[in-house]
Amino acid sequence: MELSVVTEKACTASCCGVSQRLTASELCDRGLRRRRLEPLAIVGPTLHGNDGLTAQFSLRCEGDAVTSIRFKASSCATLLAYCELIAELAVGRSIAECARLSAGALVATLSDVPVFKRDRAILAVSTFHQALAQTKRQMNSIQSAAIAV
Amino acid sequence: MKVAYIFATSRHSVSYVLGKMILPQLEENRHGVDVVGMFFFEDNNFVLVKGNPIGERLHNVARKKNILLMGCDQCCYEREIADKLFDGVPIGCFPDLYKALSGNMPDQIITL
Repeated sequence: MELSVVTEKACTASCCGVSQRLTASELCDRGLRRRRLEPLAIVGPTLHGNDGLTAQFSLRCEGDAVTSIRFKASSCATLLAYCELIAELAVGRSIAECARLSAGALVATLSDVPVFKRDRAILAVSTFHQALAQTKRQMNSIQSAAIAV
Repeated sequence: MKVAYIFATSRHSVSYVLGKMILPQLEENRHGVDVVGMFFFEDNNFVLVKGNPIGERLHNVARKKNILLMGCDQCCYEREIADKLFDGVPIGCFPDLYKALSGNMPDQIITL
């Protein structure tokens, strides 16, 4: 996935109207808000990482495109930032493109995260990939059912 | 007695209480207790940034006395200094602090 093609969006809140930035702090803030939302239709498994951390992604797809992403994750600032980064990068992409997203790409994007916190990127990406796999399974079963009919 | 300090307020807690009381006393081995850890919130984290003169002394004394120094991760991300701290100084939240202190638990935690 091409990480550099990230469009800057203006904040939709009434508070500031400034452009959103891809920093750990701002991603964490936006991630906290996204985490409060109810899960979408396709819910991936909850994965467990170091230090008792957990994450779970849910997706909405139209055709082959991921159109909306939400997640539940432990209240670790770094994990929330990585999960939010995935949600912002992957939305609008195809499932195949999303599957190419790597922990290394997340780490490279948030270069100010200290080395000993970067394992959170692996948990975030692994959980997201599991949700994508769940999506594929559900799409395949729907196709199989349609063929059978 | 072992103590840990949490620097939670942002007026004179670092420049005065740490810089002019606790730190000189630690350097002179007359603080009166063993300090096992210090945790920093908000703007107090700037003392952990490389080049900070009080931080340089604190980092030296912490290495000599095996004192844990840790910055609040959200506070450091917000100030964009998480990758600018003294070598070996971690950032984290309460679970990280308690885990780091678990091998050398303080008898008292003092919030300043």
